[in-house]
Amino acid sequence: MKTKRIKLPHGIPGYNLGEIEREVPSTEPPALAVNDKLKVIGKRIKRTDALAKVNGSAVFTADVHLPGMLYGRMLRSDIPHARIKSIDVSAAREYPGVFAVHIFDRRYEGANPKKNSSDSEFPDVIYAGQPIAGVAAVNPDVAQEAVSLIKVEYEPMDFVVTMDEARKPGAPLVYQTDVDQEASDGGEEIEEGLKSKGNVRGPSTKSFYGGPRGDLEKGFAEADVIVERTYRTQVQTHCPLETHGVVVDYNHGNVTIYASTQSTKNTRNEFARTFDLPKSRVRVISEFIGGGFGAKHTLGSFGVMAGYLSKKSGRPVKIMLDRKEDHISAGNRPNSLQIIKVGAKKDGTLTALKQLSYGTAGIGLGAGVGNIAQAMYACPNFKTEQYDVFTNTGPGAAFRAPGNVQGAFALEQLIDELAERLDMDPLKLRDKIDRSVIRKVEREHGTKILNWQKPKKPGSDPGPVKKGIGVAQAHWPRFVNLDSSVEVRVMRDGAVEVRSAVQDIGTGTKTTLAQVVAEELGLRAEDVTVLIGDTLFPIGPSSGGSVVTGSITPPARNAAYKIKTKLTDIAAEELNTDANNILLENGYFMLTDEPSKKISFKELAAKMRVEQITATASRSDDYGGFMLGTIGFEELGSVQFAEVSVDTETGFVKVDKVLAVHSCGRPINIAQIESQINGGVIMGIAYALYEDRVMDKNTGHQMNANLDQYKMPFSFEIPDIQIELIEEYGAISSTDATGIGEPANIATAAAVANAVYNAIGVRITEIPITPARILAALNKEKKVNNE
Amino acid sequence: MNKFSWYDAASIEEAQKEVNATVSQTIQPDSPENAAVFKASGIDLLDLMKEGLSGPAKVVGIRNIPGLDEISFDPEKGLRVGAMVTLSQISGDDRIKANYLALHQAASRAATPQIRNMATLGGNLAQRTHCWYFRSKELVCFRKGSSTCFAHVGENENHAIMSYGYCVSIHSSSLATALMAFDSIVEIKDKDGKIRLVPIKNFFVLPTVDRTRENILEPGELMTAVILPAPKRNTVSYYIKMGSRKSQDWPMAEVAVVAELSGNVCKSVNVALGAAAPVPLISKLANDSITGKTITEATAAEAGRAAMQIALPLSENGYKIPVFQTIIKRALLAVV
Amino acid sequence: MKNKKSKTEKTGNISRRGFLKGAGIAAAGTVIVGSGILISKPHSHEKDEKFVPGTISINMKVNGKIREMNIEPRTTLADALRSELHLTGTKVGCNRGACSACTVWIDGIPTLSCMTLAVEVGDREVTTIEGLAKDDRLHPVQEAFIEHDATQCGFCTPGMIMTAAHLLARNPSPTEDDVKKATSGNFCRCGTHPKVFAATLDAAHKA
Repeated sequence: MKTKRIKLPHGIPGYNLGEIEREVPSTEPPALAVNDKLKVIGKRIKRTDALAKVNGSAVFTADVHLPGMLYGRMLRSDIPHARIKSIDVSAAREYPGVFAVHIFDRRYEGANPKKNSSDSEFPDVIYAGQPIAGVAAVNPDVAQEAVSLIKVEYEPMDFVVTMDEARKPGAPLVYQTDVDQEASDGGEEIEEGLKSKGNVRGPSTKSFYGGPRGDLEKGFAEADVIVERTYRTQVQTHCPLETHGVVVDYNHGNVTIYASTQSTKNTRNEFARTFDLPKSRVRVISEFIGGGFGAKHTLGSFGVMAGYLSKKSGRPVKIMLDRKEDHISAGNRPNSLQIIKVGAKKDGTLTALKQLSYGTAGIGLGAGVGNIAQAMYACPNFKTEQYDVFTNTGPGAAFRAPGNVQGAFALEQLIDELAERLDMDPLKLRDKIDRSVIRKVEREHGTKILNWQKPKKPGSDPGPVKKGIGVAQAHWPRFVNLDSSVEVRVMRDGAVEVRSAVQDIGTGTKTTLAQVVAEELGLRAEDVTVLIGDTLFPIGPSSGGSVVTGSITPPARNAAYKIKTKLTDIAAEELNTDANNILLENGYFMLTDEPSKKISFKELAAKMRVEQITATASRSDDYGGFMLGTIGFEELGSVQFAEVSVDTETGFVKVDKVLAVHSCGRPINIAQIESQINGGVIMGIAYALYEDRVMDKNTGHQMNANLDQYKMPFSFEIPDIQIELIEEYGAISSTDATGIGEPANIATAAAVANAVYNAIGVRITEIPITPARILAALNKEKKVNNE
Repeated sequence: MNKFSWYDAASIEEAQKEVNATVSQTIQPDSPENAAVFKASGIDLLDLMKEGLSGPAKVVGIRNIPGLDEISFDPEKGLRVGAMVTLSQISGDDRIKANYLALHQAASRAATPQIRNMATLGGNLAQRTHCWYFRSKELVCFRKGSSTCFAHVGENENHAIMSYGYCVSIHSSSLATALMAFDSIVEIKDKDGKIRLVPIKNFFVLPTVDRTRENILEPGELMTAVILPAPKRNTVSYYIKMGSRKSQDWPMAEVAVVAELSGNVCKSVNVALGAAAPVPLISKLANDSITGKTITEATAAEAGRAAMQIALPLSENGYKIPVFQTIIKRALLAVV
Repeated sequence: MKNKKSKTEKTGNISRRGFLKGAGIAAAGTVIVGSGILISKPHSHEKDEKFVPGTISINMKVNGKIREMNIEPRTTLADALRSELHLTGTKVGCNRGACSACTVWIDGIPTLSCMTLAVEVGDREVTTIEGLAKDDRLHPVQEAFIEHDATQCGFCTPGMIMTAAHLLARNPSPTEDDVKKATSGNFCRCGTHPKVFAATLDAAHKA
């Protein structure tokens, strides 16, 4: 490959900004200046689709209506574990208004057992809510009525829904054999080929960053102080406001799918694979997606069902899950039990860090939590052992920084406790053990903004309502997905169009693309039309793992640069000069040395030899090589501070303020980045204080599969959120931009927990931090009377 | 939702002629085949129907019957709130705020603003418990006719701390708690057009008396109003709801206090507790503890402790006791 | 709720009951709809349908226009707006009244369309997100939502805006606490709340 060397901005403005020379492919555009010198990138640009969102014209999958469309509903098992002896769908089939009925021949969710343990022609039911069959009818009510006519003969089996019970010897087995599972694009880690013992699979000792390092025993022997704690986190469900759903128009194998998905490409690929069709015969459209947070990476069993029902009925079929189905079957963040032990020298230097974790993703895999402990701090001796525990509950899914949110809750409290034992300011300890430059800068900013002093003695406030302050840190890899291509078109009227299959799940990808292309073409963001979320367009990455901005903006810029090169040649001819002497700015091509000689973008486009010119570019490798495989201190870093009030008489906790200091490489749209950070912080507060999927151990049902008893934050739970965004240039791509979705969510719960400790002087090691847990920690809870 | 016939009644008599079942009867395994039930705003009825718990064949709308959505107040006679008055009307009524603060507070904190705009006083009092076992279609609990109370051995963090028999559900009406403290009267019109006036404490039915219902209304009987006695001189009220969130939340504990004061001395008091038992309760122990005493931090706390003497927490809800003790104390301190 | 009687008088010749029409429908106080039994003229989605659930035809005033639609008694207002009138700006998030995504105005009052039966709307006027802009001019709250980046995925946005716009209609200079009170039933998973508060307060200044 032909390469060239270019100098790119590198470092943090106001701190260590300089330049670095990189060898890059010769087709790459020149270095992009720092944001201060740009017109569109790094600014607060209004979302290009905001109008459609505020006037109700945005069409989500839930809103799609096709001529002749049928509505699908699924029969779900009422019992958590059973063999199916028979299924009788005759009454459903005969029910007036019904057009198709389908029975699943296998499970399309969770892990894949190596062999079918059952002689039944139907897959075993392994959680309450597992879909068994489906009906397509003229409307959802008729479909539901028909579903209720399906008769299933079950042979119930013993079941287990809590992780602690599932780990016990002799617990009912969810799977009879070893299992594996393909990881989604959401960033969860699943190690292949591990064995199970009972319901416990593993251990996995690996993460993104490889395996164990050093010698733990030696490390702990060298320690002056050792702290060990057990932490627990709960199961959290994603609850996107638009539930999961699809409309499938099978159309004799020329399939069109409207999907509320985080991945048009995966939806296409899975559908093509399931129905044995070439990928080229499956088109997936996702213009507006009502949130995903990691749970919408796959086609889903409902997608498969809609496919079969559409194929059988010859009509488009829509299946939108209801809220209950979304809770019980469409994904969740696995819980965790983490035993974590750290050894340190008196000066804070870490000598050893050991983590043992169990987590249940229900019938699925992906409960590992190890990589944040492995990667955030310098520690020569490290080992993690992570076990997946199967339970008869709905499958887990990637969820906004999978594993890291759970892992940070434990690690960052442990580090705080270590600081206290060493009598160090928790920020000073982090200065000592954290090699990340960006987090050092972030800690400095936070310290200054909050006028941070070493936290007061925990629990020392007078009166029943005690205030506390806490801090926690996060990192997240700069993931890149090479399935990232963008086409840029210019029409003869000067219109500019950007096309990619990448989807915008609310993060602002459309606007980001418009900005990058507009910047390159000397236009305004509103001059650029962005058409995305359709597999007719060049492939785009899944919206997960904070990969989108870092993956899709470089090809967008590169494609725009190709267009610019072509147009510049025409401009050079028109302006009678050399292409090197042309500058494109503010909508004009002009002579670099004589800016008054110019031609507008629109006028120039009119001179194109053809009606439309187009250029496509794909994501190239990161300049200087990908970061993954190195270690986390060069990755995305963030530091969050939380201030809380705790009413020690009622146990009521209120988060008063969060200061979120973040970096995401080169920021593209400040407003959208702030919005995502707000969202990550609020979700982190919800995780720390409210959310908890309650499973009834005796019946195997989720008790709060709704939005009133599954506790979510509403307006009064939102604290004052202050955001400090640090620009950071890594010289890794033609835009040098990275995502912010996951980093925004990782540190919050730990910061809140540390603040609660500072308020009341007792550590809460299990979330959510409910009034009951606060009161129990303060020994105020009345114990049960033994009858 | 199941199919049903709809009938929009223009008068109480018209409505009563059609209705042959209470909503509670439609939830039982032996639900009447051709059940016809009242629907006011229907927040609770539609919730039950959407879950598949209730499936009446006919639904009789009563929102448009004139005269049921009025509030009248006379300083001598008291307050009369029509059964079709919405929670928003109650929380927005200055006369109620000035004279029956606890009722204003309870109505202002219930559910969400949108639900308060829709939900009626009558519907709020007649709603079924939000015990999550009762509300699960898949589970047939004791209240729905089986012999099992799942909460007893299951997830009972939200459940009752006062034992009134096997069912440990809690009553879900916040307004009921406030109305109990005010010694309100429920006005009921029976099928013969006769008016019954029932003290609110006799309106609610314990599961030990009849596990299939939560109030005394018989099929076709319509609650038409709730009447609150005229405010006595030097009487002050206060209501506190404690949830894990300040925005919409079901209470983990709530208290309404109506106290007649002489200076800071409590001459008489009604301490009502919600989210403690299958029905809203008056805590006689709290009343007795504080009556005749000057309300101070110490005496108020003592009243809270007294109220909780008879509490029998379940495996997961012992935390409610300190919460109740605290909010009883704070509500008493708030009235002086 | 406002007194129905006076309302009917005010709107003159369009009475609540006048809005109910169609086969099998008689005067006030009659059982009007049956489970596919009393309806003589079924409405059909498709010609080859085997069976059609019982429906009735009603008129409803939506965004200033009288619209005819075919519904069942069990059809919620949300479903009627979305499926019959294709006004899909109104969203259904939980279908149980807990998320307020489905908020519309009925006679100007924020109401949950998922917990309202279409048949009950009568002559009351429904306003949805599609009807908030007047003569193509966005409502100040809509403008402020764009300006402040108060949308993320956008699914809660219509409900948030209908709620916030009503607050400004009755309180032109709200405090942040007032905004929080008004929106305390509106669920947003993306976390737009801080910007919703800012946008609403800003719209109040500009309204």
